[in-house]
Amino acid sequence: MSYEERKKELGPDDNSERLNINLLRYLWEASPLYFKESYHTYFRNLSILKSFSDNDIRIFTKYLHRREFEANELIFKYGDSGYGFYFIHSGSVSIQEPNGAEIVNLGEKNFFGELALLEEGHRRPASAVASGPTVLLGVFKPDVEKMLESHPILGAKFIHEAAVILASKVGHMTREIMTLRRKIELLEKKN
Amino acid sequence: MVKIYLFFAVLISALAFIVSFPRLTLPLGFSYILYLMINPLTSKLLRGSNQQRIIYSLFFTACACLLVIPLVATLYNAETDFKQLLKHIPELRIKLQFKYIQFRELLLDKTGVKLSLDPVTYVMRNVESQGANLLSSIPSLVSSVLEWMLLVPLFLYFFFKESKTLKVKFMEFIPNSIFEKTYVLFSQFNTKFGEYIIAKFIEATILGSLVTLGLMLVGFPYPFILGIIAGVTNILPYVGPIIGFIPALAVALLSQNPDVSLLSATIIYLIANAVDMVLVFPLLVSKIVNLHPILVVVSVLAGGQIGGAVGMIVVIPMVAFIQLLFKEIYQDLNAQ
Repeated sequence: MSYEERKKELGPDDNSERLNINLLRYLWEASPLYFKESYHTYFRNLSILKSFSDNDIRIFTKYLHRREFEANELIFKYGDSGYGFYFIHSGSVSIQEPNGAEIVNLGEKNFFGELALLEEGHRRPASAVASGPTVLLGVFKPDVEKMLESHPILGAKFIHEAAVILASKVGHMTREIMTLRRKIELLEKKN
Repeated sequence: MVKIYLFFAVLISALAFIVSFPRLTLPLGFSYILYLMINPLTSKLLRGSNQQRIIYSLFFTACACLLVIPLVATLYNAETDFKQLLKHIPELRIKLQFKYIQFRELLLDKTGVKLSLDPVTYVMRNVESQGANLLSSIPSLVSSVLEWMLLVPLFLYFFFKESKTLKVKFMEFIPNSIFEKTYVLFSQFNTKFGEYIIAKFIEATILGSLVTLGLMLVGFPYPFILGIIAGVTNILPYVGPIIGFIPALAVALLSQNPDVSLLSATIIYLIANAVDMVLVFPLLVSKIVNLHPILVVVSVLAGGQIGGAVGMIVVIPMVAFIQLLFKEIYQDLNAQ
């Protein structure tokens, strides 16, 4: 149970709550004196984690893996088996077709690879290459499974957010396909 | 590319180190297996509120205490059985020789073939010399046990304390191009290995208990030691139950007590193994590793050749992991 929920249950005037070690640990990690890099500010500003409380973010960051890529280093290739969802902490990533043509270039505070967490036996539908020196924060399938076991509510929230992103991408793609179909029909009629 | 070569060079060096220094790596490996077995329990202990943690701790402490009582009773009775067995070894040797002479005469009478070798004497001489070797190696065995009693808890403590840090450092070392696959395979291996060992341990305990209870009910001699042997040998796939039955067969054939019935012992072993195959194995073990029976037999033989009894036990999850690895490589090649 998070600090906020516990406080709601006890009431604002209740002083019987003992020292909360988790809260103290969180405050210490969020302080400028904490020498290890904390990703709290980075994730606080991300739209995907808007439903996460500060404590949820603190727990979530423990499941992340920091990976550094050099310029033009391959992150994953088209057809590779995919297990990871990446947040772009710094730098940029070029999503490319198998022939090398760029589809989109994603900058800081963007993310990609959410389908790998949701689909069994997922194969990457495109390649990802670091455009310059890039730092990615990855969360992988085994981490999500551990999250669902140790922090099920947090895990469910994260999966839900990933599903929402995917749903919006599918909706966008459907609209694109319909638009393209209409254009093709118009062109065929002209011909 | 350099990072990949460096990674594999370090991996090969680590494997060479493991093979070259078994005195250090065996207790380390054993501690790691214990860590994999206990870790799921500790994550349950750490989850939830303070009250829940207290309840979980009390529950597991109670289970551990309750397990000690039958364990001590089993060890005490097994020791008594073993002492009785040692007393009867000369008697067993004479009976075996007598049975062999009868068999030799029967064979000569029926087929005209004369067996000149005396396997009983040969086997008993080997057993005696091995026993003498075992006796002389007891001091070094005791020092190894003491070494393990010191090293295993120490390694286990550091696994629990530093496992996350070690994991992060190891992950940082893996090159980016193979990171995802390596991490997923490593996680799957850890989970499956720990689950397999726990499942085999539970299976062996259930089978051993069933055999012990059954043999006690029918008044068969040495029920505890036979139960322990049945439980331990059951860890070996396919051949284990047969090997586990051999001591009971020997005791039944050589005993002159009319209450000792081979048929009743056979029925008990069959029932215990049937319960194991129908209930315990499918529920606990088979869903963890999914291997063809022929592959299991070949792996067990190869594991026994390389690592003895320990090799026979750990080879199954290792082969399951290698199967996973090859499947992954094959799917990647197919996708290309």
